[in-house]
Amino acid sequence: MDGIHDLGGRQGYGPIDVDEPPEPFHEPWEARLLGIVRAFTRPGNWSIDWFRHVRECIEPADYLTRPYYDQWLQTYAAMMVDSGAASIEELASGRSTAPLHGMPAPMPPEKVEVAKKSVARFDRESNATPAFSAGDAVRTQSLGATGHTRLPQYARDRRGRIEAFRGFHVLPDSNMTGAGTVEPLYTVSFAAADLWPEADGRRDRVYLDLWERYLERA
Amino acid sequence: MSDDHADRIGAIHRDLHSHLPAEPALRVKALESLLVEKGLLDPETVDAWIAVYTEEIGPKRGAEVVARAWLDPAFKARLLEDAPAAITEIGFQGWASGHLNVVENTPTVHNLVVCTLCSCYPHALLGIPPNWYKTAAYRSRAVRDPRGVIAEFGEVIPADVEVRVWDSTAELRYLVIPERPPGTKDWDIASLAALVTRNAMIGTERDLGRRVGVR
Repeated sequence: MDGIHDLGGRQGYGPIDVDEPPEPFHEPWEARLLGIVRAFTRPGNWSIDWFRHVRECIEPADYLTRPYYDQWLQTYAAMMVDSGAASIEELASGRSTAPLHGMPAPMPPEKVEVAKKSVARFDRESNATPAFSAGDAVRTQSLGATGHTRLPQYARDRRGRIEAFRGFHVLPDSNMTGAGTVEPLYTVSFAAADLWPEADGRRDRVYLDLWERYLERA
Repeated sequence: MSDDHADRIGAIHRDLHSHLPAEPALRVKALESLLVEKGLLDPETVDAWIAVYTEEIGPKRGAEVVARAWLDPAFKARLLEDAPAAITEIGFQGWASGHLNVVENTPTVHNLVVCTLCSCYPHALLGIPPNWYKTAAYRSRAVRDPRGVIAEFGEVIPADVEVRVWDSTAELRYLVIPERPPGTKDWDIASLAALVTRNAMIGTERDLGRRVGVR
C-alpha cells in the first residue's frame, strides 16, 4: 500500500538524534513490551508480513509520533482484535471477559535459552528457474500494489542491475494472509543518480532485495 | 490482497486509539495483564527475555564477529560466503540471522544499512536497534542522503569512496565489516573487538582509527 511507512527518500524529516544514550531501552515499558512480544503465544496464525502490514495501517499521524514499541503494542492489539482473541474493552482494561480455549501453556522462562538461538528461514526449495542472473539489466514495476508489498515507491520504474540471486523466498505480498507462494529473490542495485535528482555525478549506489514480480527485463 | 484489509485494520486502529489508556506504560501494563489472564503469557518469561537483550545479546557480539574476521582470513571468507553458517560456528545465531549478509568496507567502498519500509535489523548480532535507526529521519534520509547522514554522525566520506546503501526490503539482514584500523597489528581479539562500535557495523561510522589512540 502507498502508506506512511514507505519513507525512503521523503524529505523534511530533519536531523537524527546522534547523541542517543547507548542503553537498549530508554523506558522500562519499552523493555517490558519487547519481552512480552518475544514471550507471548500468538492466538492466531500471524506471519511477519501480516504484522508489518497491520503496522503500516496505523494512522499516519500516530505512525510518525508514537514511540516505536508503542506502535508494536498497537499492532499486536489490532491483530488480537481482528482475529477475535481480544476485544477493545479487554485491551483497555487489562481484564479478560472471555477465556480462550484450546491454547497451549505459555512459553516458560527456561525455554528462553533455546528460543534465543532459534533461526527462521524464509527461503524454500523450488524447481523453478530464476528469470534473471547477476549482471542483467532490469526495470522495476511502475505501479505499486495494494496490501503489503516490499517495492518502495522511490525504486519504482527505475533501471537497475541484478547483483545476486538469493534463492526462492516467501513472497510478502501473499504471505501477509498466510499463503505460501515463493518467488525468486534478487539483490538489485541502482545508481543513486537514477533515483535522486541531486545525486547526479555521484558514484553511490542503493541496493534492494526484490522479488521477481517487481522486475522486468530492461 | 485488496484494500479491504487496510480499511478494516485502519478502523480497529482508530478504535484502539480512542479507547486504550493514554500513557504507553499503562497500555503495556494492560496488555500484559490481559495476556496473562488469557493464558498466553508467563511474566517470568518476559523477565528472562529482557535479561537476554539487556545483558547478553547486543553489539558486543557483532564486534566479536568483526574482530574474528580481521584476525582469521578463513573465517572472514566463510562469513562473506555464508554468514548464517559462519556465525553459527560461534553460537551467535538467533533472531533475524537466518539470511544474514555481511558486506565489507574497503578503501574505496563504504556500506550503510537501513530499512526504509519498517525497521529490519540483525538482532542476533547487534541486539536492540537504537531508536534513531527506526525513526522517519533516518529511514527517509539514509537512501537519499547517506553522506549527509554520516556527516551528522561526525565523518565526511571522501568523494572518491563509493557509498553503497543497503535497504533491507526482504528477509536478508546486513552487517558491515569496517576496515581494521592501522596501529593494531599485534592486538588480540578482545582489544580489537573493543574498537568496533555498533554504528560502524550499521555504517554511520567509518574510521575506527580515531579510536585507536584513545584506548
